[in-house]
Amino acid sequence: MSSNRIMTVSRAISEAIAQEMRSDPNVFVMGEDIGAYGGIFGATSGLLGEFGDARVRDTPISETAFIGAGVGAAMAGMRPIVELMFVDFFGVCMDAIYNLAAKNVYFSGGNCKVPMVIMMATGGGYSDAGQHSQTLHATFAHLPGLKVVAPSNAYDAKGLMTAAIRDDGPVVFMFHKGLQGLAWMASPEGAATELPEESYTLPFGEAKIVRPGKDVTIVAISMMVHHALEAANALARDGIDAEVIDLRTLVPLDRKTVIKSVAKTGSLVVVDEDYKSFGLTAEIITSVVEENPSYFKSAPRRLAVPDVPIPYSRPMEQFVLPDALDIAAAARASLGKAA
Amino acid sequence: MADIVVPEGLWDTKKTPEGIVANWFYADGGDVPEGATVAELMVEKSTFDIPAPGAGRLHVIVAKDGVVRPGTVIGRINRV
Repeated sequence: MSSNRIMTVSRAISEAIAQEMRSDPNVFVMGEDIGAYGGIFGATSGLLGEFGDARVRDTPISETAFIGAGVGAAMAGMRPIVELMFVDFFGVCMDAIYNLAAKNVYFSGGNCKVPMVIMMATGGGYSDAGQHSQTLHATFAHLPGLKVVAPSNAYDAKGLMTAAIRDDGPVVFMFHKGLQGLAWMASPEGAATELPEESYTLPFGEAKIVRPGKDVTIVAISMMVHHALEAANALARDGIDAEVIDLRTLVPLDRKTVIKSVAKTGSLVVVDEDYKSFGLTAEIITSVVEENPSYFKSAPRRLAVPDVPIPYSRPMEQFVLPDALDIAAAARASLGKAA
Repeated sequence: MADIVVPEGLWDTKKTPEGIVANWFYADGGDVPEGATVAELMVEKSTFDIPAPGAGRLHVIVAKDGVVRPGTVIGRINRV
Protein backbone atom coordinates (compact mmCIF):
# COMPACT_ATOMS: atom_id res chain seq x y z
CA MET A 1 0.00 0.00 0.00
CA SER A 2 1.50 3.30 -1.08
CA SER A 3 1.48 6.14 1.40
CA ASN A 4 3.51 8.73 -0.49
CA ARG A 5 0.51 9.94 -2.47
CA ILE A 6 -0.06 13.67 -2.22
CA MET A 7 -3.81 13.96 -2.31
CA THR A 8 -6.13 16.94 -2.44
CA VAL A 9 -8.72 17.62 0.26
CA SER A 10 -11.57 16.75 -2.11
CA ARG A 11 -10.05 13.33 -2.83
CA ALA A 12 -9.35 12.77 0.86
CA ILE A 13 -13.04 13.35 1.62
CA SER A 14 -14.34 11.12 -1.16
CA GLU A 15 -11.86 8.38 -0.18
CA ALA A 16 -13.02 8.49 3.44
CA ILE A 17 -16.64 8.20 2.30
CA ALA A 18 -15.83 5.34 -0.10
CA GLN A 19 -14.00 3.36 2.59
CA GLU A 20 -16.88 3.76 5.04
CA MET A 21 -19.40 2.80 2.33
CA ARG A 22 -17.41 -0.39 1.65
CA SER A 23 -17.39 -1.38 5.31
CA ASP A 24 -20.90 -0.29 6.32
CA PRO A 25 -23.91 -0.87 4.03
CA ASN A 26 -25.91 1.72 6.02
CA VAL A 27 -23.72 4.57 4.78
CA PHE A 28 -25.09 6.42 1.76
CA VAL A 29 -24.81 9.86 0.17
CA MET A 30 -27.48 12.34 -0.93
CA GLY A 31 -27.41 15.81 -2.42
CA GLU A 32 -27.44 17.99 -5.49
CA ASP A 33 -24.98 16.99 -8.23
CA ILE A 34 -23.21 14.52 -5.98
CA GLY A 35 -23.62 11.63 -8.45
CA ALA A 36 -22.32 11.89 -12.01
CA TYR A 37 -20.80 15.29 -11.32
CA GLY A 38 -19.07 14.09 -8.14
CA GLY A 39 -20.13 17.08 -6.06
CA ILE A 40 -19.55 20.58 -7.30
CA PHE A 41 -16.44 20.75 -5.13
CA GLY A 42 -15.38 17.17 -5.77
CA ALA A 43 -16.20 15.72 -2.36
CA THR A 44 -18.09 12.74 -3.81
CA SER A 45 -16.09 12.12 -6.99
CA GLY A 46 -15.98 8.50 -8.11
CA LEU A 47 -18.63 7.27 -5.67
CA LEU A 48 -21.50 6.80 -8.15
CA GLY A 49 -19.44 4.47 -10.35
CA GLU A 50 -18.48 2.21 -7.45
CA PHE A 51 -21.68 2.21 -5.40
CA GLY A 52 -24.51 2.96 -7.83
CA ASP A 53 -27.43 5.34 -7.66
CA ALA A 54 -29.24 3.64 -4.77
CA ARG A 55 -26.42 4.64 -2.41
CA VAL A 56 -25.27 7.79 -4.18
CA ARG A 57 -28.48 9.68 -4.71
CA ASP A 58 -28.78 12.85 -6.73
CA THR A 59 -31.63 14.93 -5.36
CA PRO A 60 -33.83 17.68 -6.75
CA ILE A 61 -33.05 21.24 -5.66
CA SER A 62 -34.98 21.05 -2.42
CA GLU A 63 -32.73 21.19 0.60
CA THR A 64 -35.81 21.23 2.80
CA ALA A 65 -36.76 17.79 1.47
CA PHE A 66 -33.44 16.00 1.31
CA ILE A 67 -31.91 17.29 4.56
CA GLY A 68 -35.18 16.31 6.25
CA ALA A 69 -35.03 12.90 4.56
CA GLY A 70 -31.48 12.53 5.87
CA VAL A 71 -32.64 13.11 9.44
CA GLY A 72 -35.36 10.49 9.02
CA ALA A 73 -32.99 7.98 7.45
CA ALA A 74 -30.49 8.48 10.28
CA MET A 75 -33.18 7.95 12.92
CA ALA A 76 -34.26 4.78 11.09
CA GLY A 77 -30.77 3.29 11.38
CA MET A 78 -28.95 4.50 8.27
CA ARG A 79 -25.82 6.66 8.23
CA PRO A 80 -26.53 9.32 5.64
CA ILE A 81 -24.01 11.84 4.38
CA VAL A 82 -25.99 14.73 2.98
CA GLU A 83 -24.35 17.51 1.03
CA LEU A 84 -25.84 20.96 1.37
CA MET A 85 -23.51 22.22 -1.39
CA PHE A 86 -22.91 25.79 -0.09
CA VAL A 87 -23.28 26.53 3.63
CA ASP A 88 -25.05 29.69 2.49
CA PHE A 89 -28.07 27.58 1.46
CA PHE A 90 -28.92 26.49 5.02
CA GLY A 91 -31.80 28.95 5.27
CA VAL A 92 -34.40 26.72 3.64
CA CYS A 93 -33.51 23.60 5.66
CA MET A 94 -32.42 24.91 9.03
CA ASP A 95 -35.44 23.49 10.83
CA ALA A 96 -34.32 19.99 9.87
CA ILE A 97 -30.78 20.77 11.01
CA TYR A 98 -31.19 22.60 14.31
CA ASN A 99 -34.63 21.55 15.50
CA LEU A 100 -34.59 17.93 14.30
CA ALA A 101 -31.07 16.59 13.70
CA ALA A 102 -29.57 18.50 16.63
CA LYS A 103 -32.33 17.97 19.18
CA ASN A 104 -34.03 14.64 18.53
CA VAL A 105 -31.61 12.61 20.63
CA TYR A 106 -32.45 14.88 23.59
CA PHE A 107 -36.19 14.91 22.94
CA SER A 108 -36.29 11.13 22.74
CA GLY A 109 -34.41 10.63 26.00
CA GLY A 110 -31.47 9.23 24.07
CA ASN A 111 -33.57 6.65 22.25
CA CYS A 112 -33.35 8.13 18.74
CA LYS A 113 -29.83 8.89 17.65
CA VAL A 114 -29.18 10.88 14.48
CA PRO A 115 -25.91 9.57 13.00
CA MET A 116 -25.79 11.95 10.07
CA VAL A 117 -23.11 13.98 8.34
CA ILE A 118 -24.18 17.26 6.78
CA MET A 119 -21.32 18.44 4.60
CA MET A 120 -21.07 21.80 2.96
CA ALA A 121 -18.67 24.12 1.19
CA THR A 122 -17.59 27.31 2.92
CA GLY A 123 -15.49 30.36 2.26
CA GLY A 124 -14.79 33.09 -0.22
CA GLY A 125 -11.91 34.71 -1.99
CA TYR A 126 -13.00 33.99 -5.56
CA SER A 127 -15.67 36.64 -6.25
CA ASP A 128 -18.77 34.55 -5.72
CA ALA A 129 -20.50 37.27 -3.68
CA GLY A 130 -22.53 37.38 -0.51
CA GLN A 131 -24.70 34.27 -0.91
CA HIS A 132 -21.88 31.88 -1.92
CA SER A 133 -18.86 33.01 0.09
CA GLN A 134 -19.70 32.79 3.77
CA THR A 135 -18.27 30.38 6.32
CA LEU A 136 -20.98 30.77 8.98
CA HIS A 137 -18.82 28.86 11.46
CA ALA A 138 -20.46 30.45 14.47
CA THR A 139 -24.01 30.06 13.19
CA PHE A 140 -23.67 26.28 13.44
CA ALA A 141 -21.26 26.15 16.37
CA HIS A 142 -23.72 28.20 18.42
CA LEU A 143 -26.46 25.57 18.32
CA PRO A 144 -26.31 22.76 20.90
CA GLY A 145 -26.45 19.22 19.57
CA LEU A 146 -24.25 19.61 16.50
CA LYS A 147 -20.58 18.83 16.17
CA VAL A 148 -18.83 21.16 13.75
CA VAL A 149 -15.68 20.22 11.86
CA ALA A 150 -13.58 22.38 9.51
CA PRO A 151 -10.31 20.79 8.35
CA SER A 152 -7.42 22.72 6.84
CA ASN A 153 -5.72 19.90 4.92
CA ALA A 154 -6.23 16.52 3.28
CA TYR A 155 -4.85 14.37 6.11
CA ASP A 156 -7.17 15.97 8.66
CA ALA A 157 -10.10 15.93 6.23
CA LYS A 158 -9.91 12.17 5.75
CA GLY A 159 -9.54 11.36 9.44
CA LEU A 160 -12.25 13.79 10.50
CA MET A 161 -14.69 12.63 7.80
CA THR A 162 -14.23 8.99 8.82
CA ALA A 163 -14.84 10.00 12.44
CA ALA A 164 -17.88 12.05 11.40
CA ILE A 165 -19.48 9.10 9.58
CA ARG A 166 -18.88 6.78 12.55
CA ASP A 167 -20.18 9.35 15.06
CA ASP A 168 -23.60 8.57 16.48
CA GLY A 169 -24.69 12.21 16.42
CA PRO A 170 -25.11 14.82 13.69
CA VAL A 171 -21.84 16.29 12.42
CA VAL A 172 -21.61 19.44 10.32
CA PHE A 173 -18.59 18.93 8.06
CA MET A 174 -17.42 22.23 6.58
CA PHE A 175 -14.86 22.09 3.79
CA HIS A 176 -13.39 25.29 2.38
CA LYS A 177 -13.72 25.59 -1.40
CA GLY A 178 -10.28 27.12 -1.69
CA LEU A 179 -8.66 24.13 0.04
CA GLN A 180 -10.28 21.40 -2.06
CA GLY A 181 -7.53 21.28 -4.67
CA LEU A 182 -9.90 21.80 -7.56
CA ALA A 183 -8.36 22.48 -10.92
CA TRP A 184 -10.28 25.72 -11.34
CA MET A 185 -9.57 27.21 -7.93
CA ALA A 186 -6.05 27.65 -6.60
CA SER A 187 -5.37 26.17 -3.18
CA PRO A 188 -2.48 26.94 -0.84
CA GLU A 189 0.61 24.74 -0.55
CA GLY A 190 -0.01 22.43 2.35
CA ALA A 191 -3.72 21.82 1.72
CA ALA A 192 -2.86 18.70 -0.27
CA THR A 193 -0.86 16.30 1.91
CA GLU A 194 0.53 12.81 1.97
CA LEU A 195 -2.47 10.62 2.54
CA PRO A 196 -2.43 7.12 4.02
CA GLU A 197 -4.33 4.53 1.96
CA GLU A 198 -5.82 2.87 5.02
CA SER A 199 -8.79 4.17 6.95
CA TYR A 200 -8.14 6.18 10.14
CA THR A 201 -9.98 8.59 12.41
CA LEU A 202 -8.94 11.79 14.12
CA PRO A 203 -10.58 12.73 17.41
CA PHE A 204 -12.91 15.74 17.55
CA GLY A 205 -11.91 18.51 19.94
CA GLU A 206 -8.16 18.17 19.53
CA ALA A 207 -6.50 21.25 18.09
CA LYS A 208 -3.13 20.88 16.42
CA ILE A 209 -0.12 23.09 17.03
CA VAL A 210 0.96 23.38 13.41
CA ARG A 211 3.89 25.64 14.22
CA PRO A 212 5.35 25.84 17.73
CA GLY A 213 6.55 29.25 18.90
CA LYS A 214 7.13 31.27 22.05
CA ASP A 215 6.29 34.94 21.33
CA VAL A 216 2.66 35.10 20.18
CA THR A 217 -0.19 32.63 19.74
CA ILE A 218 -2.15 32.72 16.47
CA VAL A 219 -5.37 30.69 16.52
CA ALA A 220 -7.09 29.84 13.23
CA ILE A 221 -9.24 27.27 11.47
CA SER A 222 -9.79 26.07 7.90
CA MET A 223 -8.33 28.41 5.23
CA MET A 224 -7.08 30.89 7.82
CA VAL A 225 -4.57 28.31 9.10
CA HIS A 226 -2.66 28.72 5.85
CA HIS A 227 -2.69 32.51 6.07
CA ALA A 228 -1.56 32.24 9.70
CA LEU A 229 1.37 30.03 8.71
CA GLU A 230 2.36 32.47 5.98
CA ALA A 231 2.21 35.27 8.54
CA ALA A 232 4.30 33.23 10.97
CA ASN A 233 6.98 32.78 8.32
CA ALA A 234 7.04 36.53 7.69
CA LEU A 235 7.22 37.19 11.43
CA ALA A 236 10.10 34.73 11.78
CA ARG A 237 12.15 36.86 9.39
CA ASP A 238 11.73 39.71 11.91
CA GLY A 239 12.78 37.49 14.79
CA ILE A 240 9.22 36.93 16.09
CA ASP A 241 8.48 33.31 16.93
CA ALA A 242 4.74 32.71 16.46
CA GLU A 243 2.85 29.62 17.58
CA VAL A 244 0.06 28.68 15.16
CA ILE A 245 -2.88 26.57 16.35
CA ASP A 246 -5.30 24.87 13.96
CA LEU A 247 -8.50 24.28 15.93
CA ARG A 248 -9.73 21.65 13.40
CA THR A 249 -13.12 21.40 15.10
CA LEU A 250 -15.30 24.23 16.41
CA VAL A 251 -17.53 21.85 18.39
CA PRO A 252 -16.11 20.36 20.48
CA LEU A 253 -13.67 23.23 20.98
CA ASP A 254 -10.17 22.55 22.31
CA ARG A 255 -9.88 25.49 24.69
CA LYS A 256 -7.11 23.82 26.69
CA THR A 257 -4.53 23.90 23.92
CA VAL A 258 -5.21 27.60 23.34
CA ILE A 259 -5.06 28.47 27.03
CA LYS A 260 -1.81 26.57 27.48
CA SER A 261 -0.29 28.37 24.52
CA VAL A 262 -1.32 31.84 25.71
CA ALA A 263 0.00 31.03 29.20
CA LYS A 264 3.34 30.54 27.46
CA THR A 265 3.32 33.41 24.93
CA GLY A 266 1.20 36.06 26.67
CA SER A 267 -0.09 37.34 23.34
CA LEU A 268 -3.06 36.17 21.27
CA VAL A 269 -4.32 36.83 17.76
CA VAL A 270 -7.44 34.96 16.66
CA VAL A 271 -8.32 34.86 12.98
CA ASP A 272 -11.56 33.64 11.45
CA GLU A 273 -13.15 33.92 8.00
CA ASP A 274 -16.60 34.25 9.58
CA TYR A 275 -18.23 37.53 10.63
CA LYS A 276 -16.51 39.23 13.52
CA SER A 277 -19.24 39.89 16.04
CA PHE A 278 -20.66 37.10 18.23
CA GLY A 279 -18.27 34.57 16.74
CA LEU A 280 -15.28 32.24 17.08
CA THR A 281 -12.80 35.03 17.73
CA ALA A 282 -14.71 36.28 20.78
CA GLU A 283 -15.26 32.73 22.02
CA ILE A 284 -11.55 31.92 21.95
CA ILE A 285 -10.51 35.15 23.65
CA THR A 286 -13.17 34.74 26.35
CA SER A 287 -12.06 31.17 27.00
CA VAL A 288 -8.60 32.43 27.96
CA VAL A 289 -9.89 35.43 29.92
CA GLU A 290 -12.20 33.21 31.97
CA GLU A 291 -9.31 30.90 32.78
CA ASN A 292 -6.83 33.58 33.82
CA PRO A 293 -6.78 37.15 32.52
CA SER A 294 -3.25 37.63 33.82
CA TYR A 295 -1.94 35.35 31.07
CA PHE A 296 -2.24 38.32 28.73
CA LYS A 297 0.76 40.62 28.51
CA SER A 298 -1.10 42.66 25.89
CA ALA A 299 -4.69 43.00 24.70
CA PRO A 300 -5.82 40.04 22.58
CA ARG A 301 -6.59 40.84 18.96
CA ARG A 302 -9.06 39.41 16.50
CA LEU A 303 -9.34 39.39 12.74
CA ALA A 304 -12.53 38.43 10.95
CA VAL A 305 -14.97 39.71 8.33
CA PRO A 306 -16.10 43.14 9.57
CA ASP A 307 -19.84 42.45 9.83
CA VAL A 308 -20.69 43.15 6.20
CA PRO A 309 -21.91 40.74 3.50
CA ILE A 310 -18.96 39.42 1.44
CA PRO A 311 -18.55 41.77 -1.56
CA TYR A 312 -18.50 40.53 -5.15
CA SER A 313 -15.90 43.10 -6.21
CA ARG A 314 -12.48 41.46 -6.01
CA PRO A 315 -10.64 44.38 -4.36
CA MET A 316 -13.45 44.85 -1.87
CA GLU A 317 -13.61 41.15 -1.09
CA GLN A 318 -9.85 40.92 -0.63
CA PHE A 319 -10.10 43.92 1.69
CA VAL A 320 -12.63 42.34 4.05
CA LEU A 321 -11.08 38.85 4.19
CA PRO A 322 -8.23 38.48 6.70
CA ASP A 323 -4.90 37.64 5.06
CA ALA A 324 -1.30 36.96 6.06
CA LEU A 325 -0.39 40.67 6.08
CA ASP A 326 -3.28 41.47 8.43
CA ILE A 327 -2.32 38.62 10.74
CA ALA A 328 1.35 39.55 10.84
CA ALA A 329 0.45 43.20 11.53
CA ALA A 330 -1.86 42.17 14.39
CA ALA A 331 0.83 39.92 15.87
CA ARG A 332 3.41 42.72 15.73
CA ALA A 333 0.97 45.17 17.29
CA SER A 334 0.24 42.74 20.12
CA LEU A 335 3.97 42.70 20.84
CA GLY A 336 4.15 46.48 20.75
CA LYS A 337 6.03 46.59 17.46
CA ALA A 338 5.33 48.67 14.38
CA ALA A 339 3.20 46.93 11.76
CA MET B 1 10.48 3.09 -18.60
CA ALA B 2 6.92 4.01 -19.50
CA ASP B 3 5.59 7.29 -20.81
CA ILE B 4 2.52 8.79 -19.20
CA VAL B 5 0.52 9.86 -22.22
CA VAL B 6 -2.71 11.82 -22.45
CA PRO B 7 -4.96 9.26 -24.19
CA GLU B 8 -6.42 10.02 -27.63
CA GLY B 9 -10.18 10.49 -27.58
CA LEU B 10 -10.27 11.42 -23.88
CA TRP B 11 -12.33 14.49 -24.74
CA ASP B 12 -13.80 16.20 -27.80
CA THR B 13 -10.88 18.25 -29.10
CA LYS B 14 -13.06 19.94 -31.74
CA LYS B 15 -14.89 21.67 -28.92
CA THR B 16 -11.95 22.14 -26.57
CA PRO B 17 -8.50 21.69 -28.08
CA GLU B 18 -6.51 21.89 -24.86
CA GLY B 19 -6.60 20.93 -21.22
CA ILE B 20 -4.25 21.39 -18.29
CA VAL B 21 -2.56 19.23 -15.70
CA ALA B 22 -4.66 20.03 -12.65
CA ASN B 23 -2.77 17.98 -10.06
CA TRP B 24 0.07 15.55 -9.66
CA PHE B 25 -0.69 13.09 -6.89
CA TYR B 26 2.93 12.07 -6.37
CA ALA B 27 6.00 14.21 -5.97
CA ASP B 28 8.48 14.42 -8.84
CA GLY B 29 10.92 11.60 -8.03
CA GLY B 30 8.40 9.75 -5.88
CA ASP B 31 7.73 6.02 -6.15
CA VAL B 32 4.47 5.16 -7.86
CA PRO B 33 2.67 1.80 -7.97
CA GLU B 34 1.28 0.59 -11.30
CA GLY B 35 -2.29 1.70 -11.91
CA ALA B 36 -2.32 4.37 -9.18
CA THR B 37 -3.98 7.64 -10.13
CA VAL B 38 -0.89 9.66 -10.76
CA ALA B 39 -2.34 12.86 -12.22
CA GLU B 40 -5.57 14.67 -12.90
CA LEU B 41 -6.30 16.67 -16.04
CA MET B 42 -8.87 19.39 -16.38
CA VAL B 43 -10.70 20.21 -19.61
CA GLU B 44 -13.22 23.01 -19.22
CA LYS B 45 -14.62 22.05 -15.81
CA SER B 46 -14.36 18.27 -16.31
CA THR B 47 -11.51 16.31 -14.80
CA PHE B 48 -9.88 13.06 -15.94
CA ASP B 49 -7.76 10.73 -13.83
CA ILE B 50 -4.55 9.45 -15.39
CA PRO B 51 -3.29 6.06 -14.13
CA ALA B 52 0.37 5.14 -13.85
CA PRO B 53 1.29 2.89 -16.80
CA GLY B 54 3.84 1.02 -14.70
CA ALA B 55 5.52 0.95 -11.31
CA GLY B 56 8.61 3.01 -10.67
CA ARG B 57 9.93 6.49 -10.07
CA LEU B 58 7.91 9.42 -11.38
CA HIS B 59 9.55 12.00 -13.59
CA VAL B 60 7.21 14.94 -14.21
CA ILE B 61 7.49 16.48 -17.68
CA VAL B 62 4.46 18.79 -17.74
CA ALA B 63 4.14 20.56 -14.40
CA LYS B 64 0.87 21.41 -12.65
CA ASP B 65 -1.11 23.98 -14.69
CA GLY B 66 0.81 23.08 -17.88
CA VAL B 67 -1.20 22.82 -21.12
CA VAL B 68 -1.80 19.38 -22.65
CA ARG B 69 -3.50 17.78 -25.69
CA PRO B 70 -4.24 14.15 -26.45
CA GLY B 71 -0.88 12.50 -27.16
CA THR B 72 1.11 14.79 -24.87
CA VAL B 73 3.67 12.95 -22.75
CA ILE B 74 3.13 14.52 -19.34
CA GLY B 75 5.58 12.36 -17.44
CA ARG B 76 7.58 9.17 -17.31
CA ILE B 77 7.79 6.24 -14.94
CA ASN B 78 11.35 4.97 -14.64
CA ARG B 79 11.79 1.47 -13.36
CA VAL B 80 13.81 1.53 -10.14
